[in-house]
Amino acid sequence: MDIIGTRRVFLTISIVLAALSVVVLGTPGLNLGIDFTSGSTITYQFGEGDHGSADITGALIASGHPEAIVQAVGDNQYFIRTDDLGVSGLDDISPEIQKLDPDARVLDTSTVGASVAEDTVRNAITAVIVASIFVMLYIMYAFRSVPSSYKYAIAAIIALLHDVMIVLGVFAVLGIAVSAEVNAIFIVGILMVIGYSVNDTIVIFDRIRENVTLAPGREFRSTVNLSINESITRSLGTSITTLTVISAMLLFGGASLRDFLIVLLLGVLVGTYSSIFIAAQILVLWERRSFLPWRKTAATNS
Amino acid sequence: MAISEVSFLGLTRGGDSPLGLTFGLDLEGGTHLVYSVVPEDGRDPTRDDMEGVRNIIDKRVNEFGVSEASVQLLGGGVDSVPDRVLIQIPGQTGASISLNFGAGTVSAETLEAFFQNELGRPDATVKENENGSLTVHLEKIQAEVRDVAGNVITPSEADAWRAMIIAQYPVALQVGFILPQVSTPVIGDDTAVDPIPTENVETLPTLEDVQAAFASIGRDDADIEAINGAEGLFSILMYGLDISRTDKNGTPILGEDQKIQTALRSIGNVQFTSSQGTLTQWIVGGGVQEAKNVIGKTAKLEFRYRECGDLLPPSSDIPWPPDGLSVDEWGIERCTNPTYFTESATEIDAADLEDAFPSVSQGAIPRPIVSLVFNEKGADAFFEVTDRVSRQSDRLAIYLDGEELVAPGVSDGGISGGRAIIEGGNFTTESVRTIAIQLRSGSLPVELELIQERNVDAVLGKDSLQKSLVAGAVGLVMLLIFMVAYYKIPGLVASVSLIAYTIMLLAIFKMIPVTLTLSGAAAVILSLGFAVDANVLIAERTKEELRSGRSLFAAITAGFDRAWPSIRDGNMSTIIVAIVLFWFGDRFSTSVMQGFALTLAIGVLLSMFTAFFASRLLLRLLASTRLGNHPNLFVPVRDQSGSEPRGNS
Repeated sequence: MDIIGTRRVFLTISIVLAALSVVVLGTPGLNLGIDFTSGSTITYQFGEGDHGSADITGALIASGHPEAIVQAVGDNQYFIRTDDLGVSGLDDISPEIQKLDPDARVLDTSTVGASVAEDTVRNAITAVIVASIFVMLYIMYAFRSVPSSYKYAIAAIIALLHDVMIVLGVFAVLGIAVSAEVNAIFIVGILMVIGYSVNDTIVIFDRIRENVTLAPGREFRSTVNLSINESITRSLGTSITTLTVISAMLLFGGASLRDFLIVLLLGVLVGTYSSIFIAAQILVLWERRSFLPWRKTAATNS
Repeated sequence: MAISEVSFLGLTRGGDSPLGLTFGLDLEGGTHLVYSVVPEDGRDPTRDDMEGVRNIIDKRVNEFGVSEASVQLLGGGVDSVPDRVLIQIPGQTGASISLNFGAGTVSAETLEAFFQNELGRPDATVKENENGSLTVHLEKIQAEVRDVAGNVITPSEADAWRAMIIAQYPVALQVGFILPQVSTPVIGDDTAVDPIPTENVETLPTLEDVQAAFASIGRDDADIEAINGAEGLFSILMYGLDISRTDKNGTPILGEDQKIQTALRSIGNVQFTSSQGTLTQWIVGGGVQEAKNVIGKTAKLEFRYRECGDLLPPSSDIPWPPDGLSVDEWGIERCTNPTYFTESATEIDAADLEDAFPSVSQGAIPRPIVSLVFNEKGADAFFEVTDRVSRQSDRLAIYLDGEELVAPGVSDGGISGGRAIIEGGNFTTESVRTIAIQLRSGSLPVELELIQERNVDAVLGKDSLQKSLVAGAVGLVMLLIFMVAYYKIPGLVASVSLIAYTIMLLAIFKMIPVTLTLSGAAAVILSLGFAVDANVLIAERTKEELRSGRSLFAAITAGFDRAWPSIRDGNMSTIIVAIVLFWFGDRFSTSVMQGFALTLAIGVLLSMFTAFFASRLLLRLLASTRLGNHPNLFVPVRDQSGSEPRGNS
């Protein structure tokens, strides 16, 4: 299978996807949860009888929270998001909700103050950057036996950024489509995507490293193509097993981790794709110093 | 899931929770509070400040009756000072009552059955605390509801229960009378003229006397028996003994135990020898909101000098005491009625109060007292003030947030050394405890600002735990099926090492112990995927080695050696991510990330371990059996035909 030969198709797809992600991340952007914006969330479990979102919104307005956003999450459960309730907590809201349904019970509340939210944004970005730098340094160290090991590190990082960008982009779309929220655990998800993406990339690079050493005289392009072919069943095998457990969690686990699991699911899919079709291709492109694969296409078209 | 505890070599297995693991609040239910610590003068908090805050919050939380709460300092970074406090209170979403009958009198099981059967609260669970007190956890307690005029519409549920509990569990008293000490005439003293010995006049009270005494205070229901062979010793069993010192509105009243004491004193020289089963503690906690009030309270403690009204008339022509008061009344009013006294600030700084704690006085009948400890600077100021208070028969008034806590007088001159006790006629075990807490909270030099809060209902937590367990089991089984069906023998080996991996992982979690949160559970399940990865790599490499014509045994060895560098390097990058996550985790004011990072790192390291030892050895072992005659069983399904191009190496 000549994967290297198909690089134009895949690089184009990736560049388009990444560009689209950048666009949707600009507007509308991610649907940020209270961990990033500060505020409070409450999940109520109502008893028998259906109380529509409108009734609940009414009760919240009566309790002095016109800013509240009410969202039905099934099983007669409602997810409410308000401004920071602070120390008074549910003191204002509970009586109004009790009027509506005396059996209503609070399943989960969460409050994040503004100072925490600001720190979270800054720390999230720093954590992703720091993780990337350390991973890059490690790859340079691990691949020190092959010529210009920094190329491997940079190629892995480009694949990683590609993965993170696309996952973020898809999530921004999901934010509109299914109100998927970005919260603190989302950062964990993104870091996991980084871990997975790099892990997958390294396995292929490891094959390249091995094949370069075994047959130093062979054309680099063939070595890379061979290495990808040799690792592709492993890559798919591992993806399938990981996707199996993630799907099991999505289907049988609780709703609280849904968004986190979607991040992982996307991450594994994109990570596997990029390690096969992107990361190694960058090495070849670098080797041939032809970073603009479409230039040739444009030339033949004209 | 109930698993009985088994001990071996000092290690204990089993416990109440599933598999005996420790679960985080999102799986168990509970409260998670993060406070930002801001010193009052605006500087950054020092390490000492933070330790002080941690100690104080620890105490407050424990006093609230929450024994398993954890208090952790957060933030800062590698070498800076933390500036946040994280408090995690498990399973505290409902309400609780903390009560004490005295150790060993009423068991947790008995009381739980009483709540569930007699009081109709199936949601009640009762736990015994280390100090012998009991804590009842309930989903909800109906508090007293009053209308605007202050009339009670719905009475407090807890008050009704208290009365029923008091009526349910008997109090056993043992009362002993002794003869008054009489001076016996000295031998040879010829002034002694009374021929009748004193003993003949003074007798010990009889059973009838004691019964009459109890009847006089309306307690003819008390079951009184004379103890055989010990004159003047009685055992009394009674129900419904209420030792409250205040009525519902907080007005001081005479507790029933005090009434009994007075009645018994009137018939003889009484000495209580013991009482068992008295409800000495009753604290109703309203759940999270209440906990927040207790924890986040920053109070201003003030020591003020109270100059009481003059004992002697200022001049001879004024009628004294004033306002037609009797001399006895004046003795009290001059120091308690604000019209007669004036107050001024003192040099005693609340920050110099190092500790305040409840204790009991020494002596025949121990009485509850509050002990104070000042630091050196505070001790000097305290001496000067108490010296003046003592000389002028004034008072030292202690205020918390403008409310008077206590205003004791000082009897024997200035108190030096910085250690003092406060006694009070109406002090009870509960009241001295409260006063001590309030005194201590006043010496906290910082403000606590609640910046993050999370409460998870215990039912929701259980549900999440249940679902995670199911998801984990389903995921594991699906993985095993896939591995065996596709990779055959290596898949079977992978399955065995995957099970070994799971068991060891849970064992490590228990030993460290790792608190398993929902995201941690996700990390565990996810790590199953990673753990399989190593096996997949080995199986694929072995396949290639077989194709290149090696013997099965050699192929397995070579396959493993070839796979190892990528297993190592790939997992190393995951560990780097876990380390970064752990490092940054505590800046996010949540323990979720660090828990996840730790879980992940342990999982990855362990998966490398099982791949290296379990998988490799098992594969070689199986290859050396008769199965080794069928190399096809060691090759994945799809590749059996060997049709896939090997490449041109």
